[in-house]
Amino acid sequence: MIQIISGIQNASAALDAEQTRLDVISQNIANANTTHGVDGKPYQRQLVVFESALQQAVNSDGSLQMPPLQIAKIEKDTSPPIQIYDPGNPDADGNGLVSMPNVNINEEMADLVSASRAYEANLAVVKNSHSMAMETLAIGKG
Amino acid sequence: MIEALFNQPNYLAANKALDAVVLRQQAIANNIANLETPGYKRVDLAPSFEAALEQATASGDPQQLAALKPSLAVDTSAVPGSLDGNTVHLENELMQMNQNSVAHSFETQLVSGMLQRMQMAITGKDA
Repeated sequence: MIQIISGIQNASAALDAEQTRLDVISQNIANANTTHGVDGKPYQRQLVVFESALQQAVNSDGSLQMPPLQIAKIEKDTSPPIQIYDPGNPDADGNGLVSMPNVNINEEMADLVSASRAYEANLAVVKNSHSMAMETLAIGKG
Repeated sequence: MIEALFNQPNYLAANKALDAVVLRQQAIANNIANLETPGYKRVDLAPSFEAALEQATASGDPQQLAALKPSLAVDTSAVPGSLDGNTVHLENELMQMNQNSVAHSFETQLVSGMLQRMQMAITGKDA
């Protein structure tokens, strides 16, 4: 297939992946206080794991051999829940301790910034590639 | 016979430089897409191309210029910025992308200008 706009396939795959990451982060923040999930347990923080670059190679003709960026899996953070003392809570145990989700808001905010920065960068690539393609199409038009 | 029109060393060199810029854009797009991929090593235009282009331009041999082909290579000089071994630095890539886009504007205008001058010479009219 002729590629008129160069480098756009991978950028769009990356936009997709970063979007998923943003979704997962917002889910974590939204559930930062969910002590009683569907399974009756406190919410566990989720993490997006990116596929490792195993097949990265440059072909002998100089083109790139690179599968588009993919998300390997969405993993649960298995670190223990945070215990707080709140005897009035319906989810409190015999000692008045409530298991809160292992979500750290500061960590999530830092992740959010880096995910949205990566998203913006890929968007910049798409815009840039597009304007380059328009310039190329205007060759000879004065 | 018509090929002779497009066989001037300057025109060929500008074309090859344009090819290289487009390939480089692909490399940078790939690097930015893999900003978070563990173990990814950044790719860039093979450093041998610039030297080959310079040499071919100096020789002025159309055949040698036409045979040039830009290629990509893994950038071995880049150092990992994080513990996962990824060598992409976002700021650096964005800067390279902007540089590349200026280079692309320059090359397209150069090629355009050459074609227009050729047209002017043929028709005797301003394009």
